[in-house]
Amino acid sequence: MAGGRFSLDLARPSRQHWLGYILLAPAVLLIAAIIVYPLIVSIDLSFQNVGIARLDQPRRPFTTGNYERLFASPDFWNACWVTLKLILVVTSACFLLGLGTALLVNNRFKGRSVARLLVAMPWAVPEVIAVVIFAWIFDSSFGLMNWIFLSLGLIDKTINWFSDPNAAFAVVATTMIWKGYPFVSIMSLAGLQSIPEDYYAAARVDGANALQRLRYITLPCLMPVIGVTTVLVMLWIFRDFSIIYVLTGGGPLKATQTLSIMTYEQAFSFFRMGYASAIGVVTLVICVIAAKLTMRRAPDNL
Amino acid sequence: MKLFLKTIAAAAVAATLMPGWTPSAAAQQTVIKFVSWQKDEHGVGDWWAAVIKEFEARNPGVRVEWTKVERGAYADTMTTLFAGGKPPEIVHLASFEFQKFADQGWLEDLSPYVRASGLNLDGWAGQSACQWKGKPVCIMMLYFGNIFAYNEEMLKKEGIEPPKNWAEYIAAARKLTKDTNGDGIPDQFGTGHETKGGGGQYLSELMNYTLDAGGRWTDSNGKVTINTPQMIEGLARWKDVVRNSLTPRDLSAGETRQMFADGRIAMKLDGPWLYPIIQRGKAKDQIKIVAPPFNPPLGGSSNILGMASEIPADSKKLVWDFIAIATSDKFQSDYATLASSTPPSPRARTDGAKTATPHFDLLVQTAQAASKAGVDRIPKGLEIQYNEFAKMIMEESQRMIIQDLDPKAVAATMQAKAEAIQKQ
Repeated sequence: MAGGRFSLDLARPSRQHWLGYILLAPAVLLIAAIIVYPLIVSIDLSFQNVGIARLDQPRRPFTTGNYERLFASPDFWNACWVTLKLILVVTSACFLLGLGTALLVNNRFKGRSVARLLVAMPWAVPEVIAVVIFAWIFDSSFGLMNWIFLSLGLIDKTINWFSDPNAAFAVVATTMIWKGYPFVSIMSLAGLQSIPEDYYAAARVDGANALQRLRYITLPCLMPVIGVTTVLVMLWIFRDFSIIYVLTGGGPLKATQTLSIMTYEQAFSFFRMGYASAIGVVTLVICVIAAKLTMRRAPDNL
Repeated sequence: MKLFLKTIAAAAVAATLMPGWTPSAAAQQTVIKFVSWQKDEHGVGDWWAAVIKEFEARNPGVRVEWTKVERGAYADTMTTLFAGGKPPEIVHLASFEFQKFADQGWLEDLSPYVRASGLNLDGWAGQSACQWKGKPVCIMMLYFGNIFAYNEEMLKKEGIEPPKNWAEYIAAARKLTKDTNGDGIPDQFGTGHETKGGGGQYLSELMNYTLDAGGRWTDSNGKVTINTPQMIEGLARWKDVVRNSLTPRDLSAGETRQMFADGRIAMKLDGPWLYPIIQRGKAKDQIKIVAPPFNPPLGGSSNILGMASEIPADSKKLVWDFIAIATSDKFQSDYATLASSTPPSPRARTDGAKTATPHFDLLVQTAQAASKAGVDRIPKGLEIQYNEFAKMIMEESQRMIIQDLDPKAVAATMQAKAEAIQKQ
């Protein structure tokens, strides 16, 4: 069949890029099946008044009711606010801790390998196990944290960590920071190791102190890494479910109810899958906008 | 060696050519799926295992694929299975969640099977809750009444008699809540309730107090009746117990049960399932079980057994066989013995249960008292919206406790919100 009507000569310069497409096709098709199709279904459901969704059910009439109800719901705006607060608090703390520990373990000292292992360890702990540990630490009646605070004289009566909205938010944020900072640390460490030593040597010759070297060499060189890491941490906070669900279930008084918790509750507790899909779609749009803004702006700033 | 292998191969070929042989006869047996959260539960899990064993013995070639799904993930899993068109043939659901499935038409109307088999459901505890749009879509597997368990040693130490009413109960709870090791943290509690977790359990815990005060969420017509003096009194009692930390805060129901069994909580209002936990606890010899100091006791339907509607007729017949075994007089009698709980069947013999569970008569009495008073955890008229209603009650109660709100104002808010939920 060589030279036949349907032959595909990939050796021809004009068709060389076809090989790339062919090789990519299985992966693209798989991603389409796993991600794109459910996404389309989700968007479609968000425009229907559906309780429990079934793919074999006839399509319900088109409606924008779910979105109208969503934007008029104080619970939705509260969930947006909680998600934003978590992103600001957790991302900032993760970066301070992550970058700090990365700078620390980037130095040469005895026991550096062990220190690196310890820094990265929380990342390896499964989320549910981390949550169980923190639930015990912050137990209102028998927890370690109340005992420490009381022993140090910081409080005169126990804090009900999961019954107080501010305390519950603090517990969730602390757990997420503990779980999330090693990722920033690992990424930053990789970035730090790619900065040529010559830059620092030249800066030292010019009389730059440690802070100036950090400000004018380390941070600018790390910016591409920081940009990508920020987006990934932010998206992780957006989609994280297990930490909040197991610790507080979104309560008390919706103080820790993020968009992902709200989506789950509407879909599987209240069986409003059309409405839940609308929340999911809006969350996706917010994520895309936030990621786009971060990726575009982060490297140029600081 | 070659000869041996050839012989084996020839025997295998010969076997495949035998009449009636199929490539994997064993693998081709009929499989009926049964998903339950009670699989590993001491007592009731053993009872289910006995039902399955009997079913498989009566139906050769049929195997029950019994899978455990945790209670916390149960509704999600079952919804996904049904929505995906692959429901378990034997449907086991909590009595507060089956309505959503029935409303979708996913549960088979059991009336033809009940009629054909002659199963007499007269006097079957809680069965009326299984009626959906006038048809029985399930069989109630447990209707219970709460018992009152207390740590005799703790009460004696404080010179307290077991309470007989709310006033004595709250006085005892106050006296029994203390810091025993002087570290500034109370480590012994008067009573124990779940205050963290799902709305359903929170609602049940709270109802111990609202029922005794004479309050009901709805009346017999399904009209919301929260903004009443009785309900306000009930909410005030709950606030008193929780806000003053007479119960450990932020624990799940399982954790409080274990704390009680281990001697860290003095008094506990709970269902029949508390007894097996007490038996495995450190304080089991100090614990006594009596009638609750509240009237009527909390009680209600617990879990149901049904049949998926979208399965082949052959499978439906098998599922009914399974239900028939579970509802037979023999297995209902065994339920009392193995699960230490009150069987819903009025024909169940409970003599054996009294040996294994010394307070069995009390379980029967409290279940009857709750039933007589028409008590159920699922308010009439709010069955479909139960999860949302329970969540709302939990949040408003938490708000009352956290922000120290007047129960009167809270009852008014709950009334308005419950009416709005009902109208959706």
